[in-house]
Amino acid sequence: MAEDLVLDTAIRDWVLVPLSVVMVLIGVLRYFVSKLMRSHQAPDLKVVKEGQVILRARNLRAAAGFIPAKSFRARKIYYTNEENGLLHVPKGQAQNAQAQMFSDPNLAMDMMKKNLSMIIPQTLTFAWVNFFFSGFVAAKIPFPLTHRFRGMLQNGIDLSTVDVSYVSSRSWYFLNLFGLRGLFSLILGEENAMDDTQRMMQMSGFGFDPTKSLGAEKDSIDIIQHEWALPKLEKRAEDVLKKLVK
Amino acid sequence: MVRAEEAARLDRLESQVENGGGGAWEYLCLVRKLKARRSDKVLKHGLSILNDPKARSKLGGEEWTLYEQVAFAAMDCQQHDVAKDCIAILSKEFPGSTRVGRLEGLLLEAKGAWAEAEKAYERLLEDNPLDQLIHKRKVAIAKAQGDLSAAVNLLNKYLEIFMADHDAWRELAEIYMSLQMYKQAAFCYEELILSQPTVPPYHLAYAEVLYTIGGLENLQTAKKYYASTITLTGGKNTRALYGVCLCSIAINQLTKGRNKEEKEGSNLQSLAAEALQRDYRERAPKKLPLVISMLKNMKLNS
Repeated sequence: MAEDLVLDTAIRDWVLVPLSVVMVLIGVLRYFVSKLMRSHQAPDLKVVKEGQVILRARNLRAAAGFIPAKSFRARKIYYTNEENGLLHVPKGQAQNAQAQMFSDPNLAMDMMKKNLSMIIPQTLTFAWVNFFFSGFVAAKIPFPLTHRFRGMLQNGIDLSTVDVSYVSSRSWYFLNLFGLRGLFSLILGEENAMDDTQRMMQMSGFGFDPTKSLGAEKDSIDIIQHEWALPKLEKRAEDVLKKLVK
Repeated sequence: MVRAEEAARLDRLESQVENGGGGAWEYLCLVRKLKARRSDKVLKHGLSILNDPKARSKLGGEEWTLYEQVAFAAMDCQQHDVAKDCIAILSKEFPGSTRVGRLEGLLLEAKGAWAEAEKAYERLLEDNPLDQLIHKRKVAIAKAQGDLSAAVNLLNKYLEIFMADHDAWRELAEIYMSLQMYKQAAFCYEELILSQPTVPPYHLAYAEVLYTIGGLENLQTAKKYYASTITLTGGKNTRALYGVCLCSIAINQLTKGRNKEEKEGSNLQSLAAEALQRDYRERAPKKLPLVISMLKNMKLNS
């Protein structure tokens, strides 16, 4: 059936807008709570050093054209040398993040706290949405969808003939969950604990972060060709002076 | 590096405050933000705010930052008792704080009690082994005592951990230059160029080091870096213009026998010479004859 259903504007006033407002407020609340609860992590020497090494290696990659070829080659070997290069991580040290997590109770506690602060509000809000806002059509998605999405998007609506574009408020909740990230970074500044999606991705693949980035930097430096930018600058100096002298 | 507009604003505020207009607090904030070193003014105006209870209570939480700033300025102006009072007030408010401990160490340094200052910093470092400012203060102590090699060692150890700190690289380069360890200084300047490739002073300094080390290849490279400084400063840097001329002459002297490449280097050199003459004509016309005769000599000798 392709007839257009007319949705009451009261739905917009009393469902869509309040739901968004509530999610924004809960996000702000979580941000402040996480700030209060954040335990002071003493920076680890190794972590700091690796961060700085990565910065330096990145500078080398970015401005390689500005130093002479000999210096560049010397630095390249310094970084990527197989035996004691800065960026070379011996294979044994690599995969021990999990072991580290279990052996160091502080790390495990921090992870758990972060996960909890994310899971509990999500669960509560979801339950609230289901309780109050189910059983009716909330919105219409502007593009057509196949029938496979019906189970996901039309949860409370038990009519199988309604077009799949008409969705329940549960899908509005999910839309907000992923979409409000941009809004949060505007109002809460760059460093906000609201990047749930990022954290979810990180949780699934908790690798040893520094090792991976060190290895990545090493590969990028290996690839780089040195292209000396100075001769070009010399030519440009001539032009500058010519213009100046005229 | 302070931008021109902010420097102008600072000067304007300074003259306004000096002449009795308001805005002392704004001036102090700007000095703090730009990390400018105007200790006597800061001391005078900061103390006037702090000694006035009404103005002090208006500041609220910022009061302690002002105490810290005034303590720094007092130490710079050798007014140790003022500094001691400020630090005493701060340590009463924030007992056991690293930041206040750093100020106390600084006071010992200012009085010249190097050994005690070092002991104080070692104690602070035990609790915070990764505090960058304390490491730098240790280097400053070594430098102030004239022990440059110890300063170099400390800086190298610092840079092993914090290798992306370009201020430290700059300091190390200057110390190496004063110790005449030119190759090491060249390495430091390369690091600086890598981290900030569009800042002309680093190109200039690197060119100077290469020119000082000498040798044909270094001279050619130095000439290129003088040229890049000219590009980056739009031809206004007199030293770079001189550098280009001198490099060309030195190169010609070294390659006198082998005439293999008559490069367009002479083009750059003659352009630089003309630009130099123009510069002198505009800014110091009395010295222009000297420059002209010097350039003529150089052309004859090459």
